[in-house]
Amino acid sequence: MTSYSNGGVFNPAYHDSETLEIDRRSSRKHQHTNPYARVDPAQWGHNVEPGDNGEWGAAGDGWTRRENVPMGLISTRLGSPPLQQNPNNTSQIDPDSQYDRLPPVQLHSSISGNMTMRWRGVTMRRMSMFPNADPAHAAFTEDAIKSEMENEEQNLIKELVALSTTEQIRKIRELPVSFEEKKHVRTQVTAFKSSGQYHHFTSLTDFSQNMSLSMRRFGYSIKSARQTLQLWQGIMKEIGGKFGSSVLNYFVLLKWLLLFNIFSFLVNFGFITIPLLVYDLSLNVSPNVSFRGLELLTGAGYFNYTIMYYGSYSNETIRGLLDYDMQLAYFFTISVYMVLCGLVLIFSMASSFKKNYALADPASNSAWQLLCSWDFSITNEKAVNQRKNNLRIQLKESLSEKAHRERQTTSEQLKQYGIYFGSWLLSTGLAAGCGASIFYLCHYEDERVEDTETWSALKEAETLLVPFVVSLMNMVIPLFFSLFNKFEQYSSQRKQIYALLFRNVLLRISILGVLCYYWMNTVPQKFTCWEPMVGQALYRLVIVDFIFLMLGSLFGEFLSNVIGTKIQPRLGVPEFDVARNVLEIIYAQTLAWIGIYFSPLLPVIQILKFFILFYLKKVSLTHNCQPPRRSGRAAQMKTIFIFLLFFPFFVGALSIVAYTSWRLTPSEQCGPFRGLNSTFSVTGEWIDHVNNNSSTHWVGWIYQNVIRSEIFYFLSTLIILVIIYIFWQLIQGRKQLIVLLRRQIINEGKDKSFLLEKLQNLQKSCPEVNKKHKKRTTHTSRRSAERSSGSQSNSNAMVQVLLARQQLEEEERRRASGVSVPSDISTSDAVTQAMLARQKAERQDENVYEITDGHPPSLDAVAQSLAARQRAEDRDEYWSTTHFNQSNPV
Amino acid sequence: MDLCFRSLKAQTWGINKPSSQRSSSTHIRLFYRYRDLAPQLVPLDYTNHPDVKLPYELIGSMPELKDNPFRQRIAEVFSEDGEGNMTLDNFLDMFSVLSEMAPRDLKAYYAFKIYDFNNDDFICKSDLEKTLNKLTRNELTEDEVKMVCEKVIDEADLDNDGRLSLEDFQHMINRAPDFLSTFHIRI
Repeated sequence: MTSYSNGGVFNPAYHDSETLEIDRRSSRKHQHTNPYARVDPAQWGHNVEPGDNGEWGAAGDGWTRRENVPMGLISTRLGSPPLQQNPNNTSQIDPDSQYDRLPPVQLHSSISGNMTMRWRGVTMRRMSMFPNADPAHAAFTEDAIKSEMENEEQNLIKELVALSTTEQIRKIRELPVSFEEKKHVRTQVTAFKSSGQYHHFTSLTDFSQNMSLSMRRFGYSIKSARQTLQLWQGIMKEIGGKFGSSVLNYFVLLKWLLLFNIFSFLVNFGFITIPLLVYDLSLNVSPNVSFRGLELLTGAGYFNYTIMYYGSYSNETIRGLLDYDMQLAYFFTISVYMVLCGLVLIFSMASSFKKNYALADPASNSAWQLLCSWDFSITNEKAVNQRKNNLRIQLKESLSEKAHRERQTTSEQLKQYGIYFGSWLLSTGLAAGCGASIFYLCHYEDERVEDTETWSALKEAETLLVPFVVSLMNMVIPLFFSLFNKFEQYSSQRKQIYALLFRNVLLRISILGVLCYYWMNTVPQKFTCWEPMVGQALYRLVIVDFIFLMLGSLFGEFLSNVIGTKIQPRLGVPEFDVARNVLEIIYAQTLAWIGIYFSPLLPVIQILKFFILFYLKKVSLTHNCQPPRRSGRAAQMKTIFIFLLFFPFFVGALSIVAYTSWRLTPSEQCGPFRGLNSTFSVTGEWIDHVNNNSSTHWVGWIYQNVIRSEIFYFLSTLIILVIIYIFWQLIQGRKQLIVLLRRQIINEGKDKSFLLEKLQNLQKSCPEVNKKHKKRTTHTSRRSAERSSGSQSNSNAMVQVLLARQQLEEEERRRASGVSVPSDISTSDAVTQAMLARQKAERQDENVYEITDGHPPSLDAVAQSLAARQRAEDRDEYWSTTHFNQSNPV
Repeated sequence: MDLCFRSLKAQTWGINKPSSQRSSSTHIRLFYRYRDLAPQLVPLDYTNHPDVKLPYELIGSMPELKDNPFRQRIAEVFSEDGEGNMTLDNFLDMFSVLSEMAPRDLKAYYAFKIYDFNNDDFICKSDLEKTLNKLTRNELTEDEVKMVCEKVIDEADLDNDGRLSLEDFQHMINRAPDFLSTFHIRI
């Protein structure tokens, strides 16, 4: 039984910790023998590969060079010809010597949140700024870029080292660089780490690290085993490729439910059936009953005497090596299974809800449709074309939707509401009617049935009437619901799907409710051994439902395919209706849950059913159906399905089983609980028995004061309510915070555009600037552009202002060598303008490199930045423009 | 054959020890997929780092990619030369990012690069138009294309600069739970 969510899995591929370990070990070895030796990472490769030395040396250009020259890899990947030609002109920095200079305290302080962002900045630039830079250009900026990248990488590594191992792994995984580079970064981190750790290195940390490493590896191997063991992986891929992820969801759910049933079968068989079989193999079948074959459908007759049903389980304590109380085993197995199911459902539901609902943003629909909805896993030409068509239609609809809504008049709206009302009334009426008719049908059957022992084959077959009618209703009535849905025009597809789902759930709930009422009220009074009768009824429902599902997909989908393609092309090939199909399997699973008490081996039937259904649906899908025309948000639908599975269906089944075991008197003639007032009283007797033993008195106390006491439940409910209230208030607060933060983002965007506008005005009024300055500033302003582009969209304006100032100051010092520089450009206006200039320069700079190809770059931006700075200095009391120009002889 | 496995692994991890099952098996499977594209070009033995690049025509003809409207962009983004010609490492990178288990941020970053047709680090209107035309086979009128693009920018642009930066895009992805399952190629 696994959780339904598949998010948040680690990828062991990146973090196969072998290298980590190897590196660490060898470096440690070095340090033990000679603590002052600096370990060159290049040697590790040779250490672990002693036999391959020659080969590595010969192969050298990829691997060894990268290790010798830390930055070699990056410079070769830059794509600029001069760098590629002489990789050895990159500065040779021994990483260890660099790192050793840094005290560890500093490292911890340098953790910053946007670490990956900065790294991204580097790679972005690397990829895009010089797509095909000419050599002269590259040579010009080579140094700047190189040192920039070295800095970036070293900062990154420092930050990584400061993190915990798991964090480290996660961060490295998230770096958007190639696999080789990730490996390189990780080697560096390990190198640094092991050299730093040397000083305070005890056997305890060593041990704990080894432990965590082996734990991690164990986790990976478990995950990999799980991956290889995954059922139906190929089929899933095929379905996903042809029909997209919304249809795939159906199959994933089916598989998940299958796993539920396999678990339930194992538990029931292991704890209830096997002990019974070990104890007593013989079946006490009465002589006049024989196997007729019809039992496979009805579950009555011969089956009644087998271990299939509640009735044949004994109430005795099996004496052997250990006393095995069948009553307790039966009770606890069923209850533990139900509780476990509930827990798994709640956890999957909560995590799925958190991921898919609480975070989802309903507002950005078009953006989602365009940028997130394309299914990259689709690999079939037809499906691709169809998707494109669908997307086009959806986009058109969403464009026209708005206009349509505005045009509606009051009378039209009234008519619309009338249609809604009518169809809701009709569908609710239909559901209620179905429930009522099932009720009367049960009563009618009830009057005709006598003792089960003497059933003829015909009588036995008559029992199939109720399940037949139920399944027929389940199949036909939803068709009416879909028909209603055609008339009401919901404004959004989501509402339409929800309405359809709600009606179908209502129908199934009302039918199941009536059946359960009948089983709980009438059956116990009528039969001496009533539990097996309920079990039989459930068995029949399961089987007949299965037959209808098969017929439905074979004939329903097949026939409509034939009709759609041959006879009436207007109707088209049927779509695979995910919602209806999912409800069908949810309903089937509910039957199995209810039946678990009455027929502990019902999961076997369920396993077979789901297994066959999987293949059947797959065949029917690939041959007869087309992908759904309007695919909603698949992840959200998945959440709704789990929710439905939990809320009315599982909770309903659980409450029925609970009612049966708390309130109803078990039959006196058969079953494990014969002679008891209620099933639950088995625990009371057990506690009494335990209480006789004085050493375990506390068990009785707990039972009396916790499990059986109202006060305890009352208090715990009260506490939980209080906690819920507090959390609810927290949520409200967070919501307000979100609104505020959003407003802030928007405001900052406005600020930015306002400042830009101001800059443009400024630029128009600004005079031409001395051309000589341009050349000098190109270099520096580019540097500033580079440095800032990593944090470009960091909307915190203050940070940018500070950065700008720093940059200006630096620049200033370098240029006006000897002349004292205003270290304090304090007028806030001036600073703002400087920042504006930088932003502009940045932007223009980028453009420049896009356009220039052989032409000298238009240095407009630089000129502007200079002009802006000059103006800034104008305001400064100590400096005038002329002074500045004079002090800068170029 | 076993020797080849070992040398491939040694090349990929820089060590000569068998690594954990999944990574090696997936990588070796991918290696064979790569080799099957051009058995005459790709050697079985990767110990010497042969400088092999498969042209885009071969990469784009893989069944996993051949019907994908973005196949050229994908190949361009992941290839070293930016033109879709891939080495084995590029190939492995591509499928690891597109695998089920790649972290969301990584996926978002590469998706951003794929949609950023003109490589200017922003998804601007022209990029959106290209995306839209790829996804709808040029069947929308110009006005409609314009309206859709405007709407998209309107919805997703947080800082109002008229184009989508990586942060805008990531923000949107974070609120689109489907993305993880749709930006995924099963191998």
